[in-house]
Amino acid sequence: MQNTTQAPLVEHRLRWAGFLIALGLIVQLTTFIWIHPLAFIAFAVVGCPLTAAGILLFLYSLVSRESPQAGRAHNITAS
Amino acid sequence: MITPVHMEVVFVGIVVALAILMATRPELTRVRGGKILAFLTLFILPVVAVALGYSEHMERATSTQFCLSCHVMNDFGRSLYVDDPSYIPAKHFQNNLVPRDHACYTCHTDYTMFGTVHAKFRGLRHIYVQYFGKVPQPAEIKLYSPFNNRECLHCHAGMRAFEEEPKHSKAPDTMSRINSNQLSCTSSHCHDTVHDVGTLSSATFWKGGQ
Repeated sequence: MQNTTQAPLVEHRLRWAGFLIALGLIVQLTTFIWIHPLAFIAFAVVGCPLTAAGILLFLYSLVSRESPQAGRAHNITAS
Repeated sequence: MITPVHMEVVFVGIVVALAILMATRPELTRVRGGKILAFLTLFILPVVAVALGYSEHMERATSTQFCLSCHVMNDFGRSLYVDDPSYIPAKHFQNNLVPRDHACYTCHTDYTMFGTVHAKFRGLRHIYVQYFGKVPQPAEIKLYSPFNNRECLHCHAGMRAFEEEPKHSKAPDTMSRINSNQLSCTSSHCHDTVHDVGTLSSATFWKGGQ
């Protein structure tokens, strides 16, 4: 028996957006441990871009329209 | 005691937890409440968290601990404890004329990340040199441009003891030259003993204020 569940592309993007934002903010939290120029650099060069990428991916998921081909590409097949 | 940093850490921690929730359960957005939660969690709250983080890091960058965290700056920190009032930074630091926890920034307000774009790039270069380049001896470190009187005048301007000081009024135009930065406060025979880290080996140090 084969059961096919479609995971919409928008949810796939939301998953990645959440992951990137969480990772960026964890980096930000880590940089609070030290008072050092490298902590600021890590915040500015690693934490901020990761969080920004997550936010932009989320915004993109809001404005983009899912094509049928793209939807089929993310079919999850369970048997 | 709960400080703003503690509250910020808790806030960012909550945002991280919510972001992980959205990453693991994106199907929550199929209902209206989930959509609102996603908008807050993946847009509004992260923007606020990053803004708070940036503010916190900029505040930390003004601290004496931040400036002295690089090994090459240690001697400049030691110079604040020299037991000689002719050392201008030491006199200000030891008598609380500048806040001790922000001593460097009080007199160097346009240094690296707080200065022009050019100064910011110089700050990045300092970090590069610290880890990958040849670090100069502390005595070899000089300011890129002459010390600006503005740094002194933002406290001393208009101060009675400063204006009535005989040396400051020995010539009619002395005060105007000081105010216009034509006559440097750190000129020879004025306040020319500043950090002078090259002489620390023979200096005595104040033991108080620790």
